[in-house]
Amino acid sequence: MNKRARTRLIGVTAIILIAVAAIFLAGGNQTAAYYKTVKEASTDQELVGERVKVGGAVVAGSWDRKSNPMTFVIRDENDADDNGPSVKVIYNGSVPATFGDGVVAIVTGDLGADNTIAADEMITKCPSKYESAEGAMPLADLVGQGDTMVGKTVKTAAFVKAGTIAPPGGDARFIATATAAGGEEIPVAYEGALPSGMTDGSAVVITGALEADGVFVATQVALEGEK
Amino acid sequence: MLLGTMFLGLGLVTTIVAIGSLWWGHKLGEKDGESVTNVGYLATFAGLVAYTVSVLTILTAFFRNDFRFLYVAENHSTDVSSLAWLYKVSGVWAGREGSLLFWTWLIACFAAYVAYRRMDKTDALSNMGLLVTNVVLGLFSAAMLFADVNNPFKATPANMLGANGELLSNSAMNPLLQHWAMILHPPTLFIGYAGLTIPFAFAIASLIVNDPSKKWVEIVDRITVFSWLFLGLGIGLGSVWAYVVLGWGGYWAWDPVENASLLPWLTGVGLIHSFTMYRRRDGFKRWAIINAALTFSLVILGTFITRSGIVQSVHAFQADLFSTYLFGFMIVAPLVAAGVGLWLRGDAYNGNDEFESLTAREAAYYFNNLLMIVAAVIVAYMTVSSALPSWLPFGGQSIGAATYDLLARPVGILYALILAVCPILSWRKTDGATFWKRAKWPFVIAAAIFVALLAEWYFALRPIYDFMVSQGGKGAAGFLSFGPSFIYHGLAILAFFAAALIIANGIWLFVEGSRKRAAAKGENVFASFWAILTKARTQSGGYLSHIGIGIILIGLVGSAMYVRDVKTLLPDAEGQRFEVSDYSFTYQGISDEQQANGDIESVATFAVSRNGKQLGTVTPGLTQFARQGQTRLNAAVLSEPLRDIFMVWEGNQESATGGQELSINVKINPLIWFAWGGFALLMLGALLAAWPKRTAGRALEPVAPTRGSKASR
Repeated sequence: MNKRARTRLIGVTAIILIAVAAIFLAGGNQTAAYYKTVKEASTDQELVGERVKVGGAVVAGSWDRKSNPMTFVIRDENDADDNGPSVKVIYNGSVPATFGDGVVAIVTGDLGADNTIAADEMITKCPSKYESAEGAMPLADLVGQGDTMVGKTVKTAAFVKAGTIAPPGGDARFIATATAAGGEEIPVAYEGALPSGMTDGSAVVITGALEADGVFVATQVALEGEK
Repeated sequence: MLLGTMFLGLGLVTTIVAIGSLWWGHKLGEKDGESVTNVGYLATFAGLVAYTVSVLTILTAFFRNDFRFLYVAENHSTDVSSLAWLYKVSGVWAGREGSLLFWTWLIACFAAYVAYRRMDKTDALSNMGLLVTNVVLGLFSAAMLFADVNNPFKATPANMLGANGELLSNSAMNPLLQHWAMILHPPTLFIGYAGLTIPFAFAIASLIVNDPSKKWVEIVDRITVFSWLFLGLGIGLGSVWAYVVLGWGGYWAWDPVENASLLPWLTGVGLIHSFTMYRRRDGFKRWAIINAALTFSLVILGTFITRSGIVQSVHAFQADLFSTYLFGFMIVAPLVAAGVGLWLRGDAYNGNDEFESLTAREAAYYFNNLLMIVAAVIVAYMTVSSALPSWLPFGGQSIGAATYDLLARPVGILYALILAVCPILSWRKTDGATFWKRAKWPFVIAAAIFVALLAEWYFALRPIYDFMVSQGGKGAAGFLSFGPSFIYHGLAILAFFAAALIIANGIWLFVEGSRKRAAAKGENVFASFWAILTKARTQSGGYLSHIGIGIILIGLVGSAMYVRDVKTLLPDAEGQRFEVSDYSFTYQGISDEQQANGDIESVATFAVSRNGKQLGTVTPGLTQFARQGQTRLNAAVLSEPLRDIFMVWEGNQESATGGQELSINVKINPLIWFAWGGFALLMLGALLAAWPKRTAGRALEPVAPTRGSKASR
């Protein structure tokens, strides 16, 4: 290769590389986002105004497709506590087919001062199959406390009563019992996908709230075990 | 169950035997080692038999609904339609364990094919190529045998099964995967992935036996184009699936999974073109080796980033340490081997890379390689950026689709322009007079196409920009991220210009070639054209692919840059109407149908008209899957030659007044059929080039015989 051609080749190559790098560095800033938990996003004031990516479970009943853009509330996936931190998402875009109560939504957008995210990207993930029973209230305690627990979101550890698993759409998806042998029982309403591997007698950790009519409306059902 | 694992183990043993005997045979030398080497070939065939039995075991389990296999329990389809038996087959590759087994089996097929083709030669190069292929094969089967999470033959826990072997849990194939494109997409992709092992294996073999001649390229050239073709088909089918199933109206979102399949495809383009230079000009030798290794490495990297969960993705699985190290090794080792090999061989791989000017065709090939590798590296970097340490640019941060678009459009257009002029450049250097003489007719044809495209842009596409920007929100953001509107439109027009030039050039090459051949041989022009198409297949396949790229580019400009996207709520009452652009949609009602397996299929029907003229109906639907408790949106598409009307029914809501409302999303995708059509032509071209060689075809473009002589086209 003659020298001039070689110099020019290197020159043009350098120009291309520099141009690509420049667009990358400048353009990347428009969309680059740090991954934050709901807790971090809702407490860290320094993040306000920044572009963040936050993943959390969609709080049951919090979403409303009527409003345009659509809004919903997410909480950290392991956070069943009623007063745990949450973030309101204002989402402007197509809603994935798998969106629903309890589904983990990973949204990207600008974090506002009032604990809202103006999101323009969302992907959904099915909830984790396993949930630790640590911190979960035994079913017997939940039933024992009676009406004081109505309407409060709790995580409860229970067992699946044999022969009660039914397809979604009916009144109860299955009946939960306090121990593997029986004991206190409550019907569980749940419209999401049951974890694969769940069967008669399975130990489960259910997140949701007890209604006045004695039905436990679940937002998440997971097998008891390590994540 | 035991049978499956047993044969998998047997497969690994035969593979190790193959590796051992091929190496020993190599050490003994061509003469003394012949019988030992033959054992290696036989072991390769035996390996194929063992892996085949493994795959058949899992396949029969699907057909017998044998839920004692955990993999079958978790991936069986509950479908009852006429496609049900196909979903049983596709269960094999619906999950990670099965995909890995299927992939392994495909590598074994390719290994056996190569062994079959080369068994009467058993030359040192082929033996070594087969050896490296077997090493890859062995690593894959080890990944399944020694990491329980990858083993497709795991037993189902007893408490998940009833007394008669029926399944008690709710696990089944993900309903989103129950679609015809998803039956075909993974196997085509895996054929591509598996096939790309072969050029890598022979590149390394060429380094080991120190044979820098074009022999290895000739052995693997067609397998490479064939694999690249299937990889491309797989990407295309995935896009079709995303378009009609995922329901967001697009076919490409720069999702990590999509990027993963694109990476090796990009470097594959570089690989194929380096092979052309290697075969015909005895140049680009290091490029060919590096591209082969990089492509293989990216195949593994792509699979790894999407399956290991290091990147937040819908497809994420839990990673185990063993697979992480194993796949990590397979990502790094090819690059190290190629690098060290080339360094050790030194000047042996100096090719005929001399050229005198940047206008030489060699330079166009060089920039082809450069841009493809830059594109692959940057896409790979952006895909994994969220897993990188924070001192790197955007380390720990994830990057959105808009940035990919921002990079892909200018780089893609630059690439298209190079592609457009490359065929009318000369080797070594192009002088002005020759260039213009050659370029005259292509430019005339290109001008005609360009004017037509410009008219389409002015009247149909340009108004969409203003409409979307005026709507605001996310829709507008994608348009505005390019800065002032003239940059956005300018890129589109430049892309149209490149597309026109590429297509014109491709057509002209065929016309000119046929004319010259007809004159030289005294035959009919059409006979000559047919002869070029069927005899000089690698070349005419290449030209066809180029025309395909040009047509795709037109489709991309329309369907990616100028989409009209409208969301609306419609009261659930027959006769309700809404309008998008020139189109009017009249609601005609919903029908629900419960199927035997409990799934409910709902379909909403809309009559569509444009400016008062009836066009037909669109019928978006919803399927509620009983067992999985999931809902799938079934998008509906009404196609016109110049645009698709894409509609998704996102479900019903209660309206403010108490009635029901349908949530509807309509997208008008202009020129999308150009993308699909051009893609078909690109694949047809690749098929033509990959078609096995029966008779040596007369090359359309003879190699310049001596250095410095003025090259002819």
